[in-house]
Amino acid sequence: MGLTDLLNLLVAAILLAGIYTTMSMGMTVIYGVMKMVNLAHAGFMMLGAYFALELSQRTPIDPLAASVLAVPLFFLLGVATYWTMVRFVPVADEPTLPSLLLLFGLWLVLQNVGYIVWGADDRSILTAMTMATLRFGGITIPIIRLIVFGIAVLSFVALQLFLNHTWFGRSVRALTQNREAGQLVGIDTRRTAMLTFGLGIAFTGLAGALLATLYSFTPDFGASFMLRSFVIIVLGGLESFSGVAIGAVIVALIETFSILVVPASYQLAISFILLVVALLVLPGGIEGLLQRRRLQR
Amino acid sequence: MTPAASPSPARNRLAGTGAVLTLAVLLLLPSAGVPSNVIRLLLGTFLWVAASLAWNLLGGVTGQVSFGFAVFYGLGAYTAAFAISGGVNPYVAFAAAGLVAALGSILIGIPTFRLRGPYFAIATIGVNEAIRIVMSNLAITGGASGYRLPAAGRFSQAEHYYTALGIAAVAFLVSWYVMRSPFGLALRAIREDQDAAADLGVHPFRCKLTVHALSAFLTGMAGGAFARYTAYIHPDGVFSFATGISILLMPVIGGLGTLPGPVIGAIIYSIVQEEMVVNFPQFHLLLYGALLILIVLFEPGGLVGLAKRLARSVRGRMTGGPGEPAVARARLGKVGP
Repeated sequence: MGLTDLLNLLVAAILLAGIYTTMSMGMTVIYGVMKMVNLAHAGFMMLGAYFALELSQRTPIDPLAASVLAVPLFFLLGVATYWTMVRFVPVADEPTLPSLLLLFGLWLVLQNVGYIVWGADDRSILTAMTMATLRFGGITIPIIRLIVFGIAVLSFVALQLFLNHTWFGRSVRALTQNREAGQLVGIDTRRTAMLTFGLGIAFTGLAGALLATLYSFTPDFGASFMLRSFVIIVLGGLESFSGVAIGAVIVALIETFSILVVPASYQLAISFILLVVALLVLPGGIEGLLQRRRLQR
Repeated sequence: MTPAASPSPARNRLAGTGAVLTLAVLLLLPSAGVPSNVIRLLLGTFLWVAASLAWNLLGGVTGQVSFGFAVFYGLGAYTAAFAISGGVNPYVAFAAAGLVAALGSILIGIPTFRLRGPYFAIATIGVNEAIRIVMSNLAITGGASGYRLPAAGRFSQAEHYYTALGIAAVAFLVSWYVMRSPFGLALRAIREDQDAAADLGVHPFRCKLTVHALSAFLTGMAGGAFARYTAYIHPDGVFSFATGISILLMPVIGGLGTLPGPVIGAIIYSIVQEEMVVNFPQFHLLLYGALLILIVLFEPGGLVGLAKRLARSVRGRMTGGPGEPAVARARLGKVGP
């Protein structure tokens, strides 16, 4: 195992962390404002993947462009989901059982509608760049992963700007920090929750479409990514937007480098064990840990 | 449910008589010339009833939702399979299956019960998937190709039927006993408000571990009986997330925290499964998903809640007074911590 191999793994991990950030952002904004764990995350990711597939097969639109088009569409889908179902579920300071069961039921519905519409065959999206690579010395970078990473980083930056520089973004952050105080200063919680759910689903759809250009998928697609997203937001401290990026890097690094020690078939198990460990020993996530350190000094 | 519901003695006697009569009919069925596919359907139903009642003790009565009961079903199935292959008496093997599952539940519960309700629920998804993946990759479970039990003696459907009925009856009696015992009251107190319960001298962690082990024991026995009946199990079947979901769906459909709810849920689940899986393999999960959404939105008390609500409105109409408002709506909201 030479240095170049390690560097290759490192680059792969960082590129993976980009898309992991995008998919987890969708979950974290929803958790932040509504304190709901979106168990339908996988279903919307799957829809995003098939959206990119359908669009690239039926129209000359490039799948990567299709993934960007998914954003407004999935925003509307998220708003519609909130309006028809999610708004009837009680909200509290931590996830409630009805919200878990409702979103879980929605996942089952989406997944199996997917099976009825698209069948159980493995699908994949080939783009002009799928096989192309860049080489720097011994390091190989698949171009498609680089582009996906670029889109992911752009979307992350866009979201940060949006949250920090618009009134809606302010109300999202306010409700994330303290729901009641937010209400006291006159934030329309329902409207904010609706738009946030839309925003979260938009990110989820984008992530699904982007992942579809990297991996093959079936209507079952997304389940493992949903759990990874959850690991990431737990590591990130559940409601911290920058914590998500840290969590994504950690999960991507651990998954990528675990190949060196554990057989590849156990790789998924590692994320799940990480989930339980993170929930247990890092209740405030990495951010919380850092804050505690700061306070102690 | 009203706290510590104590139905009138007359209703109690009625329910008791009904249970005994049902048991008598079920005992006589195999010798009454009932077609063997009906017996097979009933047999499967009994095992689901047992798992459903078991899950209800933890999820419904104590309010700790677990997505990971497939672990106990799978542990039970494999323990029984190994024991029977090794020549152990099947009934001893079932007990061993329950014990191994209970042991597993304690190992899982010690770390995960440090988490509060919803976080526990999500951790169980992780635990279930991690264990499934490990089991599919181990050589002793037969890996992804499964494990076949050796045929021992003549196959007697009636014997399997009585075994399953016995396990369901045990689960029912245990549930009935727990729900009216002081231990059951402690469990309900934890569901309603864990901190208040702790202040009153209930030890939430210990109670949760105990009920988790009890649930796992019953689920493990059901898994063991399933393994002996089908004589072929594989990790992606018994340990699958779908198995865990099924075990969770039945009590939710029927009515969380009640005694008849999980039984009704399991019966409906088994019939729907039987009718739909062959013809529309994807459609049944779609249906369960839709049902889950409808139950959360409209009748958190499940079918039992719906029946109660209907009964109330009928009674209200008969006495001329206004029907009582649907108090059931708030129930599911309360189940969470």
